[in-house]
Amino acid sequence: MVIDTLKCVGCSDCVVACQTENNVPIGYCRDWITETVDGSYPNIELELKSERCNHCENAPCVRCCPTGASHIVEGGIVLVTPNECIGCGACIESCPYDARYQHPDGYVDKCTFCQHRLKKGELPACVSVCPTKCMYFGDLDNPNSEVSRLLKNRKYKTLAPEAGTKPHVYYLI
Amino acid sequence: MQEELFTSGRHIPNIDPSLEIWHWPISLYLFLGGLAAGILFFMGLITVLGKEKEYPTTVKYASIVPPIALSVGLLALVYDLTHPLYTWQLYTTVRLESPMSWGAWVLLITTPLSFLWVFSNCSELFPKWNLKFDFLKKFESFLKQNRKTMAYALIPLAIVLGVYTGILLSAFNARPLWNNAILGPLFLTSGLSTGAATIILLSKTAKERHLFGKIDLALIVIELGLIVHMLMGMYAGSQVQLEAMQLLIGGEFTVPFFGFVIILGLIIPGILELLEVKGYKIPVAVPALLVLIGGLLFRFIMVEAGQITRFLY
Repeated sequence: MVIDTLKCVGCSDCVVACQTENNVPIGYCRDWITETVDGSYPNIELELKSERCNHCENAPCVRCCPTGASHIVEGGIVLVTPNECIGCGACIESCPYDARYQHPDGYVDKCTFCQHRLKKGELPACVSVCPTKCMYFGDLDNPNSEVSRLLKNRKYKTLAPEAGTKPHVYYLI
Repeated sequence: MQEELFTSGRHIPNIDPSLEIWHWPISLYLFLGGLAAGILFFMGLITVLGKEKEYPTTVKYASIVPPIALSVGLLALVYDLTHPLYTWQLYTTVRLESPMSWGAWVLLITTPLSFLWVFSNCSELFPKWNLKFDFLKKFESFLKQNRKTMAYALIPLAIVLGVYTGILLSAFNARPLWNNAILGPLFLTSGLSTGAATIILLSKTAKERHLFGKIDLALIVIELGLIVHMLMGMYAGSQVQLEAMQLLIGGEFTVPFFGFVIILGLIIPGILELLEVKGYKIPVAVPALLVLIGGLLFRFIMVEAGQITRFLY
């Protein structure tokens, strides 16, 4: 997933869309908007971005899961199987992005990139509702996909790369 | 200056503003697991060395503690799970990358072994009990004959169990305070030290108390060294580790950490045990209890403080 921080206006549509689409319990969220203010007046910079699970390549949550409930499926999406999750919280402790939470039903829940929609050929809910179209979703292995081309042509960053997780959500800057 | 805030709102229970996923049962378990590992280790070692007669407390009376500690600890662990009915899923797979997985397997072997050990002493520990059935008596004498075998198994298992309580925390690179390689040996040393303190408390002979006083003194010195190593390592670490260290040095955990863990839990019992070794009359229960309380508080502080440290936000 590629997110253009220059286009994001922080409207939180993606957050509401996700909560509706995935029946996220009230008080919880799988994605959220951060506003980062850098510097002091008059040299001040504002960055808005939508954050979520980074579906890391070297996912610490998958590594430390004692039952294998956290796993990476084909395509690189990190998922949790509720019936294998014991709710130990190890994955939550291990996530540098704090992208996971304990569902009130007990198991651990997180962003799935709306896998159920992807299977139907649709985009994730957050991407599909974005009014400024600042989010792009696609196959990074395909060099001709829109996301690959964006990463080729624009400057980008990932969140907390020093954590060594190889995150797969990229932010255009 | 950088300021970051959630404009969409984010206040997930137990996650924001800082993690509270692991509560007191985890700290309690880490303490009890370490304590049990310590006693099991000494129990195994003395049996392997063939000195059961000289140190009866360790192999007999103190051996009642590990099964109780492990049972209470395991109950505490399960109590802290949010999906506890699926606990059996732990035993459907072996995941070598996950410390919690091999910890679960080690506990599955160690806990019954610790019970069997107590049972092998049953007729001496509880002389009034009458083992009604013949097969129980036979089982007891069978266990008694194989005690050395059990001891050989218990020593490595106890070490793994003791290290595991530390590695469980240090495996998370997202929590900079925990993420250092020294935490495993540090928790093992602390566990051995609390185990030795328990043996001192229960011991009835001066010789045994004296030996474990010396052992405990050595362990306290090692533990202090390891704590210094841990802090030095973080001091020389990256920004997130520096921030983590500041919780312990100059932050909100400074007073409990230095006051209760370092001074009351390590230095003062260390001095008292040193005086005892030198021949002064010291009530040995005092340093032993201080070590136990210090060990318990150490687990609580590490679990609480570690969850405050994070990479983002």
